[in-house]
Amino acid sequence: MNRTLSSPSPEAFGTDPWKTRIDRTFARALVLPLVLAIGLLVLLLGDTLYRSVSVQVVRADEGPGRTYPFGLAATEVLRQELLARGYTEEEARSLLQDPTERRVLFLQNRVELMWNTQEGPFRYVVTGLRDERVADFSLLEGLRRWEELKAGLGEGERLVLNPWLDQSFLTRTPSRSPLTAGIGVAIWGTIWVLSLALLIAIPVGIGTAILLEEYLREGTLNRILEVNLRNLAGVPSIVYGLLGLAIFVREMGLGPTILSAALTLGLLGIPVIVVTARESLRAVPESLRQAAFALGATRRQVVFRVVVPAALPGMVTGVILSAARLIGEAAPLLLVGAAAYVPFYPTGPLSEYTVIPVQIYLWVSMNIPEFARVAAAGILVMLLVLSGLYFLALYLRNRFRREW
Amino acid sequence: MEILKQRPSRNPKEVLTFALLVFLSSITLLTTLGVILSLVGDVAQFFRRVPLTEFLFAPEWTPLFADPRYGISPLIAGTFLVTLIALLVAVPLGLALAIYLSEYASGAARARIKGTLELFEGIPTVVFGYFALLFVTPLLQRVIPDLNIFNPLSAGLVMGFAIIPYISNVAADAMESVPRSIREAAYALGARPYEVALRVVFPAAISGIIAAIILATSRAIGETMIVAIAAGQRPILTLDPRETIATMTSYIVQAATGDQPTGSTGFYALFAVGFTLFLLTLFLNILAQYVVERYRERYE
Amino acid sequence: MVSLEMLKEHETVRTAPVSEAEALVDVRGLSLWYGKKQALYDISVRFPRNQVTAIIGPSGCGKSTLLRSLNRMNDLVPGVRVEGEVLYEGVNIYDPRVDPVAVRRHIGMVFQKPNPFPKTIFENVAFGLRLMGVKGSELEDRVVEALKRAALWNEVQDRFKKESGLRLSGGQQQRLCIARAIAVEPPLLLMDEPTSALDPIATQAIEDLIQELKTRYTVVIVTHNMQQAARVSDRTLFMHLGVLVEEGPTEVLFTKPKHPYTEAYITGRFG
Repeated sequence: MNRTLSSPSPEAFGTDPWKTRIDRTFARALVLPLVLAIGLLVLLLGDTLYRSVSVQVVRADEGPGRTYPFGLAATEVLRQELLARGYTEEEARSLLQDPTERRVLFLQNRVELMWNTQEGPFRYVVTGLRDERVADFSLLEGLRRWEELKAGLGEGERLVLNPWLDQSFLTRTPSRSPLTAGIGVAIWGTIWVLSLALLIAIPVGIGTAILLEEYLREGTLNRILEVNLRNLAGVPSIVYGLLGLAIFVREMGLGPTILSAALTLGLLGIPVIVVTARESLRAVPESLRQAAFALGATRRQVVFRVVVPAALPGMVTGVILSAARLIGEAAPLLLVGAAAYVPFYPTGPLSEYTVIPVQIYLWVSMNIPEFARVAAAGILVMLLVLSGLYFLALYLRNRFRREW
Repeated sequence: MEILKQRPSRNPKEVLTFALLVFLSSITLLTTLGVILSLVGDVAQFFRRVPLTEFLFAPEWTPLFADPRYGISPLIAGTFLVTLIALLVAVPLGLALAIYLSEYASGAARARIKGTLELFEGIPTVVFGYFALLFVTPLLQRVIPDLNIFNPLSAGLVMGFAIIPYISNVAADAMESVPRSIREAAYALGARPYEVALRVVFPAAISGIIAAIILATSRAIGETMIVAIAAGQRPILTLDPRETIATMTSYIVQAATGDQPTGSTGFYALFAVGFTLFLLTLFLNILAQYVVERYRERYE
Repeated sequence: MVSLEMLKEHETVRTAPVSEAEALVDVRGLSLWYGKKQALYDISVRFPRNQVTAIIGPSGCGKSTLLRSLNRMNDLVPGVRVEGEVLYEGVNIYDPRVDPVAVRRHIGMVFQKPNPFPKTIFENVAFGLRLMGVKGSELEDRVVEALKRAALWNEVQDRFKKESGLRLSGGQQQRLCIARAIAVEPPLLLMDEPTSALDPIATQAIEDLIQELKTRYTVVIVTHNMQQAARVSDRTLFMHLGVLVEEGPTEVLFTKPKHPYTEAYITGRFG
């Protein structure tokens, strides 16, 4: 074959159909991973949503398995349920008026709104701690066999279309029964742990970023800090858990408490915040620093009156995204006490606690189909919180975007 | 004259601010020190009871048995297996995505794809674990009937997707930093876009790409929740992706959530495994940095 | 070709030198290094009060470096080293007892590209005043005064407390930066190619402003535009390769340059 260039003829500039085809195929193939990744996301979300709704037949421990019309107050529903269980008017009223009794009653009996029941759509049921599940079907199968199931209902049994993620799921405490398990304690645990962790990670992270970007752009200390941060960022999060277990839980004697968890998570968050804060400091043009210096500002005045205010929107966005990252961390907290069964709301930094992702892990690893539904509901809660934070960050990023 | 003031370095406010910043950043150094110290003490306790040779060469990891054995090889094998499966998914997909991002996507599309990847990165791994156990495994069981409920295959597959952003972001950065002029030189010689991408940009960015893969490997090794949920917690020395296994991380979770009495050998074993994990990931991170520094092409 | 060795041997050509009494700033034997690279060679020159002095020369000749040594902005560059003296009102600003921050408060500076802070117009001008501890109604009065003197007041008076400085046009931004620099009443105002990023109309406005300013301030302006130097300045310095080649009244330098390099540059044969 002649590989030297011949003198140009029109044919020499013709297209090579084979190569053109390779080119086009190659470009298309590159989009494949994106399609797969988005497909996975859709499947994940779809599966979670689908699993979080089910058709159930439940046998009430006491009472007739009645349902109550939409719009009634929770107390009224519970009063009617008590009457249906055979209490007298008098007894029901005294139970509901005594604050302690009332609290216990509401802990043991959950008023929940069902999307559909054997007595019609959107009605309340009262779920007791010892209610027993007879059958649990996925949405489509349950709907297909709805009439058949309705006909086969026994004494004290009810047929419901149960949306596992409902209002009362957000406030309930963990439970051994999937029917009454809720994520309330974990939500408050996450709020406590995250706020305290940010209290540590934000000053340290942003302070380090300022030191590296505004005071020590080169030199030995800069090198040491940078190398150290890069390696810290690569340490698996579970190793931070071991650190927390050895130092905070045992050495400092804090025990498996919110404080231990917050310290652990705070350290984990520092490298992430440093990276985002440095990016936003670097985005502030050098000319602003020069202008401030030329006006006779000291280093501190330049940094805190000009550079940091200019970088603030970026820093806030970075902190929100780091917070979102920390909310989803389960592994390190498993080691510092989050895996415990905690039926009480946290009251302070030294309370026992659990957090949302750990609660989800515990439910998933129960390996019981209905706990998988509870886990799905928990995942939806967590993803909702995360997407809220994500869009807040996106909004801030666009709202305060500056053209220098 | 008025301008004859003191040197600024003696201004107490300036000094105080600087000292505060140095103090805050020293906490990052203390963290590293804390990691090492917290591990080393308990690891020493462990090796006072279990000889190093046993830890390295014994073929079984059975701390809870009446006759406990502490050979880390089953955990290493499990970690290796899951990581390998994850990389088989993540490397081709992540690199393809990186080429697309750096060579094909327009500015707007690039921003949108990076946003999607950010979303992907933001999904807690416990969610991926749930998905692997409850969606992927049943699906795979239809194809592979003797697949265990807990298996490294589905954990690895899902983890592969979870670490795609780590590969594609770093690799795309490396490819984007290849100067335009080199691409233009190739185009001027009559190369087609795919030839430019594969023969010019890809080789020019190879050190960044290798670093990306090493970093993703380190991520996969340290990833905990997906394997703890979906791969199981049974340390067996096997490379069969259908068997239930345990990784270093899933063992740590298992031991920490179980009732290991503080001070028992099993408790210290936790830290021995953690230290091994720490050293392994640290080694990979340093290796990645070394590759970038050593083989960086200089364009000036 | 012009070689550094040839230039360094040469004495600076001076026409109608400025007397010590007339000078606000007296540079004596100033040399400056960035790391190992020398950027200024033994420069001696006086800048007279209430006049505009222009510094011209090809790019990389050290004109900005010389300007930045007058308010010690070069101190911010790592690895910089200075020899010689810069006497400001008779005080050597490179004396080890002198605080560079205090020097910069006395000397205003305007940069090549407008660089307003991402704050309101008011806060931009108030920045230097606040650093000096000016507060309350005095602060407000002096901000307004500075905006008036920078010929910006008419355009922004109805919105200057609310609107960000970044919302102004390029020319307005540069006048804002001038207002910011003169708000603290610096006796000396340094301008580093202040119109290079502006369109001709905005440039005209700034040049007019410079003529106004010289009644109150001493101005040193670096420019790459010879016409501009001819229009606005009273005296001109010509620099090349870090050496001060020639200095004198602007009309003399432009019409009867004495040094062959100056002549070559003025007539456009290099640069």
